[in-house]
Amino acid sequence: MKILIIEDEVNLANSIEEYLEEEGHICELAYDFKQAKEKIDSHAYESIVVDINLPDGSGLDLISYIKEKNISNGIIIISARNSLENRIEGLEIGADSYLTKPFHLSELNAQLKSINRRINFSGNNEIIFKEIRLLPDEFKVFIHEKELILTSKEYDLLQFFIANKNKVITKTGLAEHLWGDYMDSADSFDFIYTHIKNLRKKLISASCSDYIKTVYRVGYKFEAEKV
Amino acid sequence: MKLLTKTSLNFLSISLFVFLVGIFLFYFLLRVQVNKNINVELDKRKNNIIESITSAHIGNALPPNQNERIELTKITNASYPDLYFSDTVIFDHNVSKFTPYRQLGFIATVGDEKFYIQIFKSLEETDNLIIRIFLIMTILVILVILTLLIMNNFTSRFAWKVFYDTIEKLSSYDVTNKTELALKHSDVKEFEDLNLAVQRMTNKIENDYINLKEFTENASHEIQTPLAIINSKMEVLLQSGDLSDKQLKSVADTYDASNRLSRLNKALLLLTKIENRQFPESTSVSPELIINKQLELLEDLIQSKNITIEVHKTEDCILLINPYLADILFSNLIKNAIRHNINKGKLIIDISKDSLIISNTGINQELQEEKLFKRFYKSSESSESLGLGLSIVQKIAEVYHYSISYQYNQSLHSIGVHFNTTGKTSSANK
Repeated sequence: MKILIIEDEVNLANSIEEYLEEEGHICELAYDFKQAKEKIDSHAYESIVVDINLPDGSGLDLISYIKEKNISNGIIIISARNSLENRIEGLEIGADSYLTKPFHLSELNAQLKSINRRINFSGNNEIIFKEIRLLPDEFKVFIHEKELILTSKEYDLLQFFIANKNKVITKTGLAEHLWGDYMDSADSFDFIYTHIKNLRKKLISASCSDYIKTVYRVGYKFEAEKV
Repeated sequence: MKLLTKTSLNFLSISLFVFLVGIFLFYFLLRVQVNKNINVELDKRKNNIIESITSAHIGNALPPNQNERIELTKITNASYPDLYFSDTVIFDHNVSKFTPYRQLGFIATVGDEKFYIQIFKSLEETDNLIIRIFLIMTILVILVILTLLIMNNFTSRFAWKVFYDTIEKLSSYDVTNKTELALKHSDVKEFEDLNLAVQRMTNKIENDYINLKEFTENASHEIQTPLAIINSKMEVLLQSGDLSDKQLKSVADTYDASNRLSRLNKALLLLTKIENRQFPESTSVSPELIINKQLELLEDLIQSKNITIEVHKTEDCILLINPYLADILFSNLIKNAIRHNINKGKLIIDISKDSLIISNTGINQELQEEKLFKRFYKSSESSESLGLGLSIVQKIAEVYHYSISYQYNQSLHSIGVHFNTTGKTSSANK
């Protein structure tokens, strides 16, 4: 996708750009309201990641502006403020989701993937990776076109992995994705191990290759086999 | 008591006292004066009588024009008191009752004959006069007092109106409410001064409050941004294939630590915001819904620990509370109950109109109640937790005047939230 990243903190903007470009997206950056507006006026972007707190204006106004121009693209708000009013306002004026800083880039990535499916494959919402086919609207998985029954958390895990394939994801990142802020418990770390073990078992028993690789003492990586 | 009542009572009691003392003094003085007058009159008459007797040279003849009572006795020796005033009571045949008289007895010498003469003056009219004067005075004084009282009352009510208005506005003052105080003006200097001082004070309070709010929000922004940078850099670094296992682990640890820092920051910020009453909006909330949602989210964890869940509901529970805070309050309690639970443990939820109690199996000994809600207190079980969950629960409860209780009974730890403050108040509520 072609993505516009609007963030006044240069370091953060660069990190996001680097991460997303590795995913195969084409990214452009804008560091303030004025720059952002110029870019929106001159180019078409499929997705826009916008920080609300810009030095010379509010990201929310930018979103309203974008919605006025009726460009069909996805909008993700990133903000340091976790205020409920901001969140509601943002979603009401048309953003697809609201992430509070600091957020996991893997989470941002997964959200963008979902926007991508909405924009570019509308009507055909499915995720295909080799022999695995996911139907996100129905939470169904098919391996070699044969349905595999997974628990909701296992499905969640698989979809998250595929969305972030070839990326190292820490245990924290996984736990936070699955359980929100419950994840600060020692149980959940052990529990991730159990979930992954079960998922692996089920995939293998459905004759699926094992793409889930353990990164020693760090986390996991869903690796597409090297061709 | 009310100010008006107090001043009125003071006024009344003092004037009554003065009035009573005064009226008795008045009566006494009046009587003394009247007596003096009567004495003078009797004296004059005595002189008249003596003159007319001596000029007439007749002992027995009584001077004419005597319509007053008079008694004359010839005496031989001078053993009678001379010039002696006294009061006596004589039966008056005209009115058929005993009437008070003042009498003067004196000795008159005519030639070489001595006579003892007694003259009398009826006190009846003067007594009546005194009483009438007394009554009129009393009525007058009472009228004056009453009139003053009513007038005082009336004007005070008017003058104090602004003051009462200020009191009313102050008692409904809420700094989180953005409306103006709008105190009235008065031509009484003291009330104007009061209102000025109050206005100044509330302005300062509002400014401080706004500054505090801005500070907490800005602090969040300032801290989260560098943390976001750290996180993102670390996450990107993790993807690098050039790192050794050891280096990768360092990066992962840094990433996790920075995550923890940011969660800590968010939680502390939340505590501060709650304390600053930055969540005034309340709606109707059902704690049951929040709890069910949380149980669903943590479903797999509950299953893996083989925890059995029991819900006992006696009545529906609806609370008027900020929905965001309600979510945090009840989710934290459930998370806590699962986190500290044992394998094959129990989780019991009791819901009623006035309280919500969550009980769980856990450590086999009673926890120290005072420490339980303190910030950063963690039982040894989960050292990864922030230790702020229950502190936040307590803080939210404080704002809405719920009371929190802790009990350890039959190997169940129970934490209860009581909504109409009829529950046991925990000593941890500080």
